[in-house]
Order: sequence, then structure tokens, then C-alpha cells
Amino acid sequence: MSESNKVLKEIMAGSPMRIAISVLLGFAIGSIFMAAFSDSVVASYATFFSTPGDTFRAAGQTIVDGYTALFNGSIVNLQADNPVSMFRPITETLRLAAPLIMAGLGVSLGFRVGLFNVGGTGQMVMGLLGATWVSTRMSMPYGIHMVVALLVAVIFAAGTGALVGFLKAKTGAHEVIVTIMLNYVAINLFTFFLRQPNLLLEHGGGGNPKSDPPALTAQFPHLLGDSFQLNLGIILAIGAAFVYWWLMERSTIGYRFRMVGHNASAAKAAGISVPKTYVWAMAVSAAFIGLAAANQGLGENSGLTASIHANIGFDAITVALLGGSRAGGVVVAGLLFGAFKAGSPAMQIMGVSPEVLGIIQALIVLFVAAPPLIRAIFKLPKAEVK
Amino acid sequence: MNKISRNAFKGLAAAAIATLALTGCSSTTAAPSLNYKACGVSDEGSWKDKSFNESVLDGLNKAKAKLGVKLNTAESKSPEDFVPNLQAMVDAKCDVIIAVGFNLVDAVNKAAEANPKMNFVTVDGWSNKATNLKPVTYSMNQSAYLAGYLAAGYSKTHVVGTYGGMKIPAVTDYMDGFYYGAKAFEKASGTATKVLGWDAVKKTGDFMGDFVPNSGVSKTIAANQVKGGADVIMPVAGDQFGAVSAAIKEAKVDGVMIGVDKDIAKTSPQYADMVLTSVEKRMTNAVYDIVKQYSAKGAPAFDGTAYVGTLKNGGTDLSPFGTFDSKVSADLKTALAKLKTGIMDGSINPLQ
Repeated sequence: MSESNKVLKEIMAGSPMRIAISVLLGFAIGSIFMAAFSDSVVASYATFFSTPGDTFRAAGQTIVDGYTALFNGSIVNLQADNPVSMFRPITETLRLAAPLIMAGLGVSLGFRVGLFNVGGTGQMVMGLLGATWVSTRMSMPYGIHMVVALLVAVIFAAGTGALVGFLKAKTGAHEVIVTIMLNYVAINLFTFFLRQPNLLLEHGGGGNPKSDPPALTAQFPHLLGDSFQLNLGIILAIGAAFVYWWLMERSTIGYRFRMVGHNASAAKAAGISVPKTYVWAMAVSAAFIGLAAANQGLGENSGLTASIHANIGFDAITVALLGGSRAGGVVVAGLLFGAFKAGSPAMQIMGVSPEVLGIIQALIVLFVAAPPLIRAIFKLPKAEVK
Repeated sequence: MNKISRNAFKGLAAAAIATLALTGCSSTTAAPSLNYKACGVSDEGSWKDKSFNESVLDGLNKAKAKLGVKLNTAESKSPEDFVPNLQAMVDAKCDVIIAVGFNLVDAVNKAAEANPKMNFVTVDGWSNKATNLKPVTYSMNQSAYLAGYLAAGYSKTHVVGTYGGMKIPAVTDYMDGFYYGAKAFEKASGTATKVLGWDAVKKTGDFMGDFVPNSGVSKTIAANQVKGGADVIMPVAGDQFGAVSAAIKEAKVDGVMIGVDKDIAKTSPQYADMVLTSVEKRMTNAVYDIVKQYSAKGAPAFDGTAYVGTLKNGGTDLSPFGTFDSKVSADLKTALAKLKTGIMDGSINPLQ
């Protein structure tokens, strides 16, 4: 077993306890950043030596305000005066979590096979290209249009993934290099398509790379009426999690995936074609990411630019790591990071810079992914590597 | 663990001393306080983009300092953030919500429609005739016309260049003015002048396709224009001055740049020796003026009439020439002053 595979396994074997501690620690250290650079605290530094209490009071207030804003912005807005704005935050969390869960499942699948799929962005963008083509340049009846656009997104993304698997299987090219390079190919290809009037450029647009809005027949339907933006995406995400669980834990192909991830030589000896498994694993991994692409492309009602991928392909890596590459874990991790996204505007209003949430997110993953560090800090026993 | 927290405390104390020194002299008299909340949402460029987002933030900060209004700001990192950020401002019950940039235009029009009792401003955008959405627009062609004339007059090769981030009206407006300004010099002086990167008649030219600061694409376009003989280049895409200056230096030619949006020689002093002038979009004033007008006691009802920044109201102008002041001939300066008066009184149309 290679060294990197061992580390991956140890990360995935993380106990819920260790993950909970990592999350708490992330929040704790995040609050230091939040407090140390807030305006009111910085102002109180001037009088730190005469009235140090002011600084600590201001710091405490900033932290309480910041996390209250995160709660109000991502769960329930307790300051709202009508039920719609009161419950909007939780629906936004679900909406923003959906693509993170979908893409997180895709990256997780790669991890379980011992593949590091950092090409989520490229696979998403290829999926977006396909979905945008179907949703803006074809007309179909309501319902069918959306399903076709969704399938095309998944197929385009899966094809991109399969190409990576094929290159790895045939030539031994490392998937990290290939996926990263394909990210650039995909983004620039999509931008090129968005610039061409006879390809994806919006009708009557000035020439800036932007598509028409997806046709009404292709947009994800809203689940709770038009006052909420929550759409079909979250249901697809939960469905995807079930499919992932069944695929990895119950199906024959999932068994092959896991076996190759566990020990490729043993799998080969047992008669499993490792190259073929790489191609399939990359394709299925990217197919989940293609769902996230459909979510981004069909969940919008205005024109798309290339940056609509919103870096979800990379965020998905953190979701997969935090979720331990297990279906349930990925759903929970996706919800947590979705809540961060939903709560960010409310926190910014309280004067907390949006980077703080990025720091917390990174710290949590750092702690999860650095088991020896956490074990040393809290003197936990070594996790058993299965 | 203990050791860590002790060290952290030491660090904090050091930071406290440092900020003590910094803030010690800036404790000005308390600003007046107004019960008015002005809010801003940036586009993907971030508040510190040395360009239009930052200008708007400066305007909001000026309003906070001088008028005592309260501020809420939120930054967008991707198009996904536009709607949630605007919604957060609606929830925070802002008195006016300023959406910065053309890319937010769909989102802010929808927000204005959904919240008819709230007031919105779209900087660089357009409105669907909603009475609660005020567009802030600029006749950038006016000052860009002066810049084009200046560039053509300054150029030794009689080739000037310009290129844009995206082909959107907020960008091509500069390029139109620049083109016609350069052509005006051609007519006045009788010297054939070539404008690379934009043809205002055919509406074709060089665009990067995005606003990524100092990208490779940007440098390639600039290098091609230099190769084509251009010795004055105006990039209209936020911060591209690193890319253009590098392209000029690498070609070892005696070229200069024209800044956009802010006085680039001041905001990025490292390029001051290559910035002939800047076509300033003084959004800081526009934002401040709007907040001042509607936060005052007995303020008029908010309406959807556009605020247009012009040479006349000081919403746009050329920056001082700085280190280049001695290199611009007196004749050229006189001609520019004449053109400016002409544009202000309407006798000169910068778009022909």
C-alpha cells in the first residue's frame, strides 16, 4: 500500500468524536481571527493598557455577534418580522448545500478508489457546457427538457472524468496532474463557447461571455413557492447520497472500487481489471460532480458566466475529507459548509470579513486531515485503520 | 497548550502596541449620527480592487465619516453570492442598497421588483424603469475623449492602443471616447493616427473576456499592440497596469499607459513613471452625493432617475499628468482645455 493511500485511509477512518472536536476547534480559532481584526476591537487596542477589559469585552461581543449572525443567516432569522424571511435562511442553507453534497460525493468516490480527483471544477464546467447548451439552445416540453439537460450535464462531466481514468490506465499519467490541467481546458472552452453568438452567447448581448437564462422548461422547479429559492437540487442531492451508499456499500461494482482502493495488486491478483476500474471510477466520480453542474446551471434564472462553477469542485474536496467519504458524512459536511455560505452575508453585515469563514472551513479540514496533530493535542488513541 | 496561549497573548499585546501607535493620532472628533443605513454589495472584484468597487466603498466610508450614516457591506465571491448578499441587505432593513457593477444588474433589478418599498442603486447597471432603482451611470466617453486626444498628441509613433475586459457598454464607452478623441487629433493636426484594439464605427476590438487582474491574456493583448507600434495604451479592465507595463518594458520601447477609474499614478505608485494620466470615474462622489441627498432631513422621495457623472458635475475627469506634466506640450494642454469646455457646453460631441 502506498504511503499516500495509508494517509487517505487514516483520514477516512476518522471517528465522529475527532470530527466533532475538529469542528469545535475550527470555530474556536476562527473566533480569534474574527475578534482580533474587528473594527471595535482594533479601536480598543489604543486603550489596551489602561482598560484592557474594554478589549476583551469588545472581542467577546464581536464573537457573539458574529456567530449569532451566522445562526440568523443560516438556520432561522430570529430578527425577522415575517415568516418568509424568518425561515429563508434554512432554505438557503439547503439550496447552497446541494451542489456541495453532490460534488462531495463525487470526490469521495475517488478517494475510496484511491484516486485524488481535483478536477471537480473542470468536470463541472464541462457539465455546465452541456446543460447550458440543452437549456438555452433547444426547446422541449416541460419536465422532459430539465431531465434531458440534467442527463447531458452528467454525461458530459462523466465523459471528462472517464478521459482522465483512461489516460491514467493507459499511460500511467497521474490523475492529479491531468485533472488540474483539464480544469483550465474546460473553463477556457466554456468561455469560448459563451463568446460565440452561434454557440452559447446570449441573444442581444453585447459580446461579454454570458449565456441566455435557461429556458423556463429546463429550470429546476422551486420547492416552496417563489418566495424561496430552494429548488429541486436538494432532493437530487439526498437521492445522490442514497445512490452513492448503495453503489459503494452494496453493489458489485462498488466492491471492485473499494478493493482497488484498498490494495490494487491484491485486486489484480483476484482478477479485477485495475485499469478498467480506474476508468469507471473516474467516470462515476465525475458523474456525481455533473449533478452539481446541473444544479448550478439549471438552478439559476439569469444568464450564466463561466464563474458560476463557484469553486464548488474544490470545496467538494473539503466536503469529502470532512465527511470521511461516507454518504452520511458527506451530507452532514455539505450542510455545514452550505450553512457557512448562507450565513456569510449576514456575518459580513456584522463586520466579519468573509475570509473568516474560509479560514474556519480550512481549519476544520486541516484538523480532520491531520489526525496525528489532533491526537497529540487531545491525547486520543490512534484510529484503527481498517 | 498553555505555552501556546501565552505566546498568543504576547502576540496580541504586540499587536496592541502596534495599533496603539497607529490609531493614537487618528481619534478625531465623533462623527454626527444619523438614523440612516447605507448598504453596499460588491461584484466579484472585491472591495479592494483599486477600481470601481473600491471607489464605491470609499464613497460609503466618506458618508459614514461626514454624515454619520450607518454602513453594511458585503462582498461577492461568485455570481452565486449576488442574490443572497442583496437579500441580506433587505433583511437588514437598509435605507438604500447600492449594488456595484454591471454583473449584478439582473439580481438588483429582481430585488427591486420584489421589494418595492426598499431603495436600490445600481452602479454601472441599468434599471427596468423601476422607481425604486436608481442607476448611476457615467459619460465616460467625455473624459476618455480627452484621453484619446492627449494620447494621440503625445504618441511618437502615432499609434495608440486600447482594449477592454468585456464587451459591455460600461467598457466600450471609454473605448469609444478614446477612439474619437484620437481621431479628433488626427483631424486637427493632419497627422494620420492609428487606434489599435477598438474601432468605434465597426464596434470591433480586443477584449480579454474577463476582468482578471494582470492576466496572461491581458499581457498578450498589450504585447501585440506594442508590436503593432502603439506607445500609449489604455486598458479598460480594472487593474491591468502590471500586465501593460511588463509588455512595454519587455519590448524595450518608450511607451506609457493611461489609467482608468482611479488616478492610477496615486493608487499604484509603482507604475507612476508610466502613467500619462488616468480617466477617472469618480464614483466616490456619486455615492456620497446620493447618500447625502436622501439621508438629509426633509429629503425628496427616492426615484429612479439616473445619476449621470459628467465632466460638468465632476463625476468624471482626467487625472493630473504628474511626472509627465513637463512632457505634455503647452499647445496640447490648451487644446485639451478647449475641448473640455466644448464638451461641457455641448458644442463638442465626444461620440463622433
